[in-house]
Order: sequence, then C-alpha cells, then structure tokens
Amino acid sequence: MAVAEAITQPAVARTRRLASRLRPSHLALNVVLGLVAVFWLVPTVSLLAISLRDPSTYGVTGWWTVFTAPTQLTLKNYEQLFSTGLATGGVLDSVVTTALITVPATVLVTVISSLAAYSLVFGRWRGRTAVFLLVVGLLVVPVQVALIPVAQLYDAFGHLTGFNPFGTLPGVVIFHVAFGLPFGIFLMRNFYTGIPKDLLEAGRIDGAGEWTLFRRVVLPLGLPAAASLAIFQFIWVWNDLLVGLVFLGGNAHHTLTIYLYSFTRTLANNYWVIATGGIISIIVPLIIFFAFQRYFVRGVLAGAVK
Amino acid sequence: MARVALEDLTKRYAGGNLAVDRLNLDIADGEFVCLVGPSGCGKTTALRMIAGLEDISSGRVRIGGKVVNLLPPRDRDIALVFQSYALYPHMSVYDNMAFGLQLRKTPKAQIEKAVREAARILDLERFLDRKPGQLSGGQRQRVALGRAIVREPAAFLMDEPLSNLDAKLRVQTRAEIARLHQRLEATMIYVTHDQVEAMTMADRIAVINEGVLQQVGTPKDLYEQPANRFVAGFIGSPAMNFVEAEVTQDGGGSRLLAEGLEVVLADAQAARLRDRGLRSVTVGVRPEHLHPGALEGPGLRLSASIDVVEFLGNDELIHAASGGRDVVAIVDADVRLAVGDRVVLSAAPRHVYLFDPDRDMSLTVR
Ligand SMILES: Nc1ncnc2c1ncn2[C@@H]1O[C@H](COP(=O)(O)OP(=O)(O)OP(=O)(O)O)[C@@H](O)[C@H]1O
Ligand SMILES: [Mg+2]
Repeated sequence: MAVAEAITQPAVARTRRLASRLRPSHLALNVVLGLVAVFWLVPTVSLLAISLRDPSTYGVTGWWTVFTAPTQLTLKNYEQLFSTGLATGGVLDSVVTTALITVPATVLVTVISSLAAYSLVFGRWRGRTAVFLLVVGLLVVPVQVALIPVAQLYDAFGHLTGFNPFGTLPGVVIFHVAFGLPFGIFLMRNFYTGIPKDLLEAGRIDGAGEWTLFRRVVLPLGLPAAASLAIFQFIWVWNDLLVGLVFLGGNAHHTLTIYLYSFTRTLANNYWVIATGGIISIIVPLIIFFAFQRYFVRGVLAGAVK
Repeated sequence: MARVALEDLTKRYAGGNLAVDRLNLDIADGEFVCLVGPSGCGKTTALRMIAGLEDISSGRVRIGGKVVNLLPPRDRDIALVFQSYALYPHMSVYDNMAFGLQLRKTPKAQIEKAVREAARILDLERFLDRKPGQLSGGQRQRVALGRAIVREPAAFLMDEPLSNLDAKLRVQTRAEIARLHQRLEATMIYVTHDQVEAMTMADRIAVINEGVLQQVGTPKDLYEQPANRFVAGFIGSPAMNFVEAEVTQDGGGSRLLAEGLEVVLADAQAARLRDRGLRSVTVGVRPEHLHPGALEGPGLRLSASIDVVEFLGNDELIHAASGGRDVVAIVDADVRLAVGDRVVLSAAPRHVYLFDPDRDMSLTVR
C-alpha cells in the first residue's frame, strides 16, 4: 500500500502541476509571457536569418523564407566579416576592443561597489549616511553633462603626468567605472542592509577579520545582487556608443557599436553587415546573462537568524 | 577555561543612555552564572562588552586574569551564542561549526574530529550536510551551540539562547545546556529575562535592574534572602505579594497593620524597626507561603475574598482581593476554595519579608 502510494505520488504531483498551469490566472500569465517572448524573439530571429542569407536576397525575398527553404542559409557573411582577422578596424578587432573596455569596467564596478557597500553598511566610521546620500545624488547626473568636464580633466591630467587618458582604452574604462559606481553602490548597499549584523558579529567572534568577513560571509550572501549588477553594467557598457564615440576619438580601434554605426552611415546597402555584426554583438551579453543567471537564487538568507 | 571578572564595567551609549552602571562580578572558572533582569536592563550590553562587540565606556573586563578591554573579539577566546542563532546561511551545518577552527588554521583532521564530536553530543550527525534554512528552530539552536563548543573557548557567553523555542523544546534544551556545562566544565555566562531558566540552571544568579547590579547569589540565596524589593519581586514565580503597612506599637509588641492585613512581629524584628524609627514598611509574602486558616502568635494574617481559582493539578492558584489589592496564593487543591469565599490566609514569621518603603532595601536579616 505504502509502496503503491510512493509510486503514484509523482504522477499525482505531475497532474496537479499541469492543472495549476491550466488554471485561468496561470493561463493568462502564460499567454502574456508567451507574447513577450514572441515580441522579443521575432526581431532577433529575423536578424539572425538575415545574417545567414546571401546579401543579394535582401529586399527580394522575406527573411522568413528560411523556414521553408533552409538551403539558402549560408555562413558567407560571417566568413567575410571574419576574413579580415584581427586587422585594426575589422569586426573582430572591435569585439576585442569592446571586451577590453567592458570586462574591466564590469569587474571594477562590481568589486568596488561591493567593497564600498560593505564599508557603508558594516563599517564603523562617522558620516556613512552622508556619503551614501551623496552617492544617491550622483545617480541622477546625466552622462552628457560630464562629457566635456571629464575630457578637460583628462587633458589636465595629461599635462600633469604626461599621460592623457583621452582617446585611450583606460580613459573609456575610467569613465564607465565612474558612472557605474553610484548605481552599483546603491544596489549593493541596499542588499547588504538586509544581511543581519549578528552574522558579522558571529564571524568576528569566530575569528574573522574584516577581509575574511567580506570574502567568506558578505560576498557569498551578496552574490545575487553582485550578479545582477555585473549583468546590468556589462550590458550597459557593451552597448554604449556615446562614451566610446567621444572618448575613443582619434583611436584606430573601435567598439562594436561604433563599428556598426559607421556602416549605417557610409554604405546604404550594408544591411548584411549590420545584421551579422548585430548578432555578434548580441551573442556576448546573452552568454553573460545565462552564465550569471544561476546566481539569482532566491532566499539566500533563509535560516540565518531566528 | 578561565575566570571572568567584571570590574566597574560601565556602558554609556552615545546620547547619554547609561545601559550598564559599574557592574562588578567575579565568575569562577567553570562556574555557570546567569544574568537576569527585565527587558532593557542592560544584560545584552554587558555580555557584548565581555565579548568585545561593544566598546567599554569605563571599567575592566578580565578573562583568565588578563584585562581584555582593548582586544578584538577573536583574541578574547570566547564563544557567543546569539539570541538569533546567527548561523551562516550559505554554509552547511558542518561548515558553520568548522568555520571558527578553519580561521584559526586548525589541522583538518582535528577540525573533523571536533565537529563530529560536537554533532554527536548535540544529536546533529544526520544534519551535517544541510543548510541552516533546512533545519527546524530547535536544530538551528543546537547548531549554534555546536559552533560554540567546537572551539573549546575560555568562556561561553549565551544571550537568551532559548527565547525562540517553544515551551517543550525550551525545557529540553535547558537540560541539554545544563548537561553540556557539567560535561565541559566550562565557564558560562548566560543571559535571560526568564527567572525560571536562571533558577534551574545557574550556580549563581546576578540580578540586574536598569543597568545596576541588585544582588548576586545562589538561586537559594536569592529566593530566601532577597536584598531588596526588586529582587524579591523578580525571583520566584508567581511573584511575591507586596502590601504597604503602618507600624503600630501596643503593649509589649509591635504590629503592622493595613486594610485586611495584620502582621504580628517577633521581638527581634520589632526592635529593628524601632531602631530605624520607621512609621511604615512594605510587607512581602510569597504566594506559596500563604496558607488558608488563621495562625496564632507572630506571623501574617490576611483576610481576602476569592476572585479567581486556577486549577494547576496538585495545587490551585488563587487570586483574591484584600483591601483593594490583588493577592496571589498557591494552596493545596484539596482545600476546595470557591469564587466568592471569604478566607483568612496566613504565613509563618520566617516567610514574612519586610522592606524599607523609601529605599526598598530588605529589613529582614536572618
Ligand atoms: N546601540 C544602542 N544605542 C543606544 N542605546 C542602546 C543601544 N543598545 C541598547 N541600548 C539601550 O540600552 C539599554 C540596555 O539594552 P540591552 O539590549 O542591553 O537590554 P537587555 O537587558 O538585553 O534587554 P532584553 O531582555 O530586551 O534583550 C536599553 O535601554 C536600550 O534601549
Ligand atoms: Mg537582550
């Protein structure tokens, strides 16, 4: 009897799950989610299809014909874009350039924000609230306002030290880090305030110093927030055009967005480059998103206190 | 294991709030001392100063003879069991217990041995791989205890470790902690606002009120010879009854009178009152010392009418009105008292406590 029950249980659970999925409210939710997915997927799939078709077909037959005539699929466009290899100004060179900007900018913002938030929440110095309010104030400063002052600042720094960050990769990275930090600190600080202070005190008694507390207690607990921050920051920097355009001025290496932008400007008949380059620029953030997604665990703090 | 001494320990919070006021307490090696007092009296603050989590405003904490005022928590060789457990939610039960030893660079094999031993004592062996979130309240509590005992600290500090448990589990864990204390022969400082916990577990109890130490002694001392009205009212359950009474002299003897109350004093006590020139005193008598029926000679007599009778099994808890006051008594269930009955309750002279009504100090010295 008990054995029979144990065997049938999963089946029962399955039917129940199915039933709950079919309940009106769930049904509506699933329809909405389905629509959202379709809206998101159609343009992406079309871009992918265009990038995989011969450029001569553009404007002659629709991209959706790839479903009925898959033989027209070809990697020709990619081969052509990649054929220049790492030559300056080519697509692979822009991928590398963008990565050289995005990865440091993301890592720096995530690390510095986490450390700053640790100090703001668990530190024991005066004026923590004031500093935090200042950070909140910086959240609303528009990027455009800072372009000229920062360029001048770089110039002045160049006069002083002989290294002018304007037009260099470090210059772009520094700008992105500076603009990513207020939001990063805001996000991490708000997350850390939810970590019970008792946990850190328990750690102190167990023998941990500040650095160990940060690494072994706070950082693992803050991982979901750090992961979201890293994703936001990565996508924001990866897709940035304005900052790159201004601060890479004069540099032979371009970001992907600048690379794509230059094609929209010069050659009217370059849809295939845009489609192919667009797919290349979408792929990386997607990989990042799915790689970090597993850190979005709910209820990391369960069982800590009480 | 070590002796812990508090010398004039004082904490004044920013804003001027005096949370602990010149606390002096000498805790012997291996002793189990309870700090008790009502909510907000400064128990946690005192404990946190011993642990090093709170700055000391003035005074000294000595652990094993050494002043530790300026040492960070990790160098004080103490373990603290938090009221909230404070388990690391992202670590397994095993790692929660092992963390302190890992940080102290204890060899792996030794850590494993210590953790397994603690898990065995606390009956946690089956849960070592679980996260705290997958445990019941009682199991979490035991993990918190385990984290403390694997370290073999000089002293254990516990801040109301049982307050989040239900009544049954509380009694069970109370026994577990008492057993643990006997087994480890460790110095333990245990904070609670529950005097029953203190009475059942402690070698000595320190009663604190509004940051000031009221009395230190064995549970028996505090119960039989409370130093003042606060301790008398705090220790013992249900709480002691108090009645303000006038001192009257007639003929050879002294009597204390209030509405519905008469206390005939023994000669020694009468003399002491006369020496102090007191016109009125506070009379205290414990519920368990009040018995129905009149009593000849010295002692206390109280006439009252019964409001509520609570059946406790062997005994009955009686709420009675006497001269506009609520008086509580515990009487044998065989006595069969009913609501509305008028009774005389009496107590023997040795069970009558007298307090100075102005300073609340005990006038009863035995
Ligand atoms: N960080 C703080 N700043 C200022 N005052 C504080 C602080 N922490 C506690 N207090 C005050 O100090 C007094 C003692 O607090 P404490 O936490 O030691 O009480 P307690 O005896 O542990 O009470 P409970 O039984 O409720 O836990 C209280 O009046 C409290 O309001
Ligand atoms: Mg407390």
